[in-house]
Amino acid sequence: MSLEYSITYKAENTYEESVLEAYWQFLIIPEENDSQQFISIDFNNSLNAKTEFSINGYGFKTIRVHPKSEFKHIAFEANFKLIKKEINPFDFEPEADVLKSFQKLQELDFKVDHNTFLKTTDYTRLPEESKNLFIFDTTQSIFENLQSLNNFIHHYIKFNTEATDVFTKLNELLNIRQGVCQDFTHLFCAFARLNGIPARYVSGYLHQDNGYFGDAQMHAWAEAYVPFVGWIGFDVTNDILAGTSHIKIADGKDYKDCSALKGVVYSTGNNETVHSVVVSSQSQQ
Amino acid sequence: MVNLENQIFSSYQRNPVLFDEIFDQEGQVKEVYSKLFELYGGHSISEYVNLNEKAKSSFFNQGITFQVYDKKKTKEKIFPFDLFPRIIPPEEWEIIESGCIQRSKALNLFLWDVYHDKNIIKEGIVPMDLISSSANYLDQMVNLDPPGGIYNHISGTDVIKHSDGQYYVLEDNIRCPSGVSYVICNRTALKRALFGVFDHYKTYSVTNYAENLLDLLETVKPKGVDVPNVVVITPGMYNSAFYEHSYLAKTMGVELVEGRDLFVENDFVYMKTIKGPQKVDVIYRRIDDAFIDPLEFNPDSALGVPGLFAAYKKGNVTLANAPGTGVADDKAIYTYMPEIIKYYLNEEPILNNVKTYHCSRPKELRYVLNNIKNLVIKPVDEAGGYGISIGNRLSDKEIEVVKAEILLSPRKYVAQPIMSLSVHPTYIDETESFEQRHVDLRVFTVLGKDKEFVLKGGLTRVALKRGNLIVNSSQGGGSKDTWVLKT
Amino acid sequence: MLARVANNLFWMGRYIERSEHIARYLRVNYFSSLDAPNQISQSRQFVLRSMLTLVGDPAADEEEELNETEVLYKIGLDPNYSSSILNNVRNSRENANSARDLISTELYESINKFYHFIANYDADVYTKNGLDDFTRNVTEMSAILRGKVRSTLMHDEIYAIIMMGANIERATQVMRIISSKYNDALKAQGSYGDKFKNSFEWTTLLKCTESYDMMRRHYKKTPTSISTLEFLILNPDCPRSIMNSLNQICKHIKILDTKKKHDRDSTSFLVGKVRAEYEFKSMVDIESDIQLIINNTLTHLYEISQKMEKEFFSY
Repeated sequence: MSLEYSITYKAENTYEESVLEAYWQFLIIPEENDSQQFISIDFNNSLNAKTEFSINGYGFKTIRVHPKSEFKHIAFEANFKLIKKEINPFDFEPEADVLKSFQKLQELDFKVDHNTFLKTTDYTRLPEESKNLFIFDTTQSIFENLQSLNNFIHHYIKFNTEATDVFTKLNELLNIRQGVCQDFTHLFCAFARLNGIPARYVSGYLHQDNGYFGDAQMHAWAEAYVPFVGWIGFDVTNDILAGTSHIKIADGKDYKDCSALKGVVYSTGNNETVHSVVVSSQSQQ
Repeated sequence: MVNLENQIFSSYQRNPVLFDEIFDQEGQVKEVYSKLFELYGGHSISEYVNLNEKAKSSFFNQGITFQVYDKKKTKEKIFPFDLFPRIIPPEEWEIIESGCIQRSKALNLFLWDVYHDKNIIKEGIVPMDLISSSANYLDQMVNLDPPGGIYNHISGTDVIKHSDGQYYVLEDNIRCPSGVSYVICNRTALKRALFGVFDHYKTYSVTNYAENLLDLLETVKPKGVDVPNVVVITPGMYNSAFYEHSYLAKTMGVELVEGRDLFVENDFVYMKTIKGPQKVDVIYRRIDDAFIDPLEFNPDSALGVPGLFAAYKKGNVTLANAPGTGVADDKAIYTYMPEIIKYYLNEEPILNNVKTYHCSRPKELRYVLNNIKNLVIKPVDEAGGYGISIGNRLSDKEIEVVKAEILLSPRKYVAQPIMSLSVHPTYIDETESFEQRHVDLRVFTVLGKDKEFVLKGGLTRVALKRGNLIVNSSQGGGSKDTWVLKT
Repeated sequence: MLARVANNLFWMGRYIERSEHIARYLRVNYFSSLDAPNQISQSRQFVLRSMLTLVGDPAADEEEELNETEVLYKIGLDPNYSSSILNNVRNSRENANSARDLISTELYESINKFYHFIANYDADVYTKNGLDDFTRNVTEMSAILRGKVRSTLMHDEIYAIIMMGANIERATQVMRIISSKYNDALKAQGSYGDKFKNSFEWTTLLKCTESYDMMRRHYKKTPTSISTLEFLILNPDCPRSIMNSLNQICKHIKILDTKKKHDRDSTSFLVGKVRAEYEFKSMVDIESDIQLIINNTLTHLYEISQKMEKEFFSY
């Protein structure tokens, strides 16, 4: 069985002073993969400025907008329709030999191949004193450890949309112990990488019908590479595995690689941006 | 003994410990310099002062200057130039040239490898943390095939002659090496001032750099382009190397653009001309990685072109040098150069490497801390001679500061024995006489697809302060015309 | 050619031309006033006010006593006054800098030397007794630059852009000088029976535009308001006349815009229209309202410049 999703992404930018020139790059198009298949993409902006489809440095699809006349206000709207296959995230064969998996993590080839997602970045740097907050249990499988980590962070950090912003780093997060999906995800990636497990930040949309945490914007979760299995998604904010409700856009080392909207805007004065996301679904045979 | 009948050399003091380029151990003028020594000796001091002033004003009037800011207003200064040329005999040049080509090729293969299969790391020859913790390693470059397979199109290799008379490489500069325009200006200035001296030597011309550069850049054009449109991109006229950027564009006969002159549409790059947009195929860029595309890298960059990297990734434009080359001119990678050359080329290194200690390795760190007085401490990721500490010049207090810094971030530092750069007679304004000054040599190598070129000359940089070993122009260095003799 | 660089070359041409005219205006007015036939024309205050009017910065208070040293310094060498000769030359050099790869080495070196000459000129010497030397050097170096532009550049688009700038600026400056002297002539009339028509200021005006000798040869009479204005506005053979500049502008726009039939919205069309208007103007039209002609000409030149910017310098 599959689900047909309809996603509406809206953004509105208002500037105090006229904008003379601007470039925007949206990273909001769902990735095409085994479980995600497109029906349609539709993108408009209120200035009717030319829209181009391109890719970013990591090969994910982007939408670029470059208005050629002055303006103070612009609104964007994207509509995506796609089919998401029903996923059972537990449908895999874990490696029975726990030790073998942990040994794999220590192999040079493994480390080199996953170098990108083992790196510590500004967003995934754990303060020295917090490194013992979560300790891996080597008698248990890597997957079980990651599930425990998922559960641990979910309880350790309280979901609060007011506490942090896109610049928040782990030292601050661990101080206030409140945050949103991207903070949960960064913390998960940090502990996974600290233990030699490749982990990446995933941006995407969440279908919230099931009462999952998230807000009316984009969602973020983590993917960790379990040796002999592959990448598995962990929605840390909701203490679940990523599944049919999770529509992936892109992945990267951290939020910086995946931010939905990047812009170069030549203007003075203040500006205001409002985003919203609506995800709806209907079942399909 | 130095032949003191020679007027302008009458007060020349030769320190026998240092390797003098023109006098041998006995104080005799070396064969290759004898004619030049005679010719320069024919001038009186006052004649020489006069010639020197003329050369200076030639630079000034041509606007080959850089700006210095003091409290009141900006001043324009010329890059100090010494009229006494340096000669490199053919047999020595042969070593330098083949050695620089060898290094550039090996570095190019190394870059391809670290951005693709990473075999050299998997085989344990170069440690992984050199790429995983290098700020210059760009994840965006992974599995991207640069047109023609070339990363470091332009390399500037800094070579010195040690007191043993052998050449050593100090640094490979493969981001945006500068200085090549001075090679040509120095030659022009020397010709204007002392044209007679050229009659007695057969010297290679240096004016063919631009045509060779253009020729090689055209070999790495994007697929499907017939005659590529090449441009040079500059941060703008307030950049200290702007003269060089405009010189290169002018002599290649191509446009000199700034970021705002370019735009990207449907992943192709165009420049804004008076007749509308014109497609650009090859960009010789003189702006750093972080600034080339604000949508991909530093978002605050006003120098770059939004969308440029996507166009590059799609193979629609060539960037020279490729983004991410900085990972290979990291000073920690330098220390692996002999292994890198052997691994990719199966050759012995032609040019020597200076022994280097990695502070990231506990054993070597201990050696560095115990022998700091005999070492040069260098930060691994700084260019332009910044952040260098020379052990025997430091006070005890300064040594403690340096030690503390190393201990705080050992990965950031490497150490090398204090190399004794050779010295060359250099005219010093203050004393109105020739004195020994340390020199190095920056060699310019250009790699194209199945083709390479080394400029037969290079920039001899002079540390103008007595005893100083740092020759960078940002640290008060000057330069000399450099003659490579024909066989 | 890059649009931005074309814009810089256009302004390089303008700034060189502007420096020259300001410098000559200072010199001619100052030295003519020393032995002028009437009291007002001889008044130093009158001359200083006239100088400030030319650079577009007239003294607000008619009663205020102007300080000669201050006024001369401001217009000549003040780095903080954007319209000073120093800043005009600096701007032309900056513009040349950005187009260094396009212009000849010879032209660049001359501009560079020009700038260093001005930048190193001793301000005290200049305001005490160097006015003649300073301004004469400025006008002569500008003439050298004009020669280098003509003889060391290909007569292609680059040349055409520079010439467009130089001629639009020349016409603008000549018109501003006419405007300034026209007002001076109005003010100076009445004393000692000096009439507007035969004012001493007309001679000064011709000297300010280096046209006195040409004019005398052409008319063989003492300049009057009518003959002077006719010569400087309508005579196509006078190299400083508005008509001559318009002809030059017209010639060079054709190098940039090679189309036979011009779009009504193009620079080329506007230039042609303005030129035709002057070609068929007679002295009778000018005499009736001199101030109107002055204002209209300046407006037309401004419009041409704006159109060029839109058509060639922006994308």
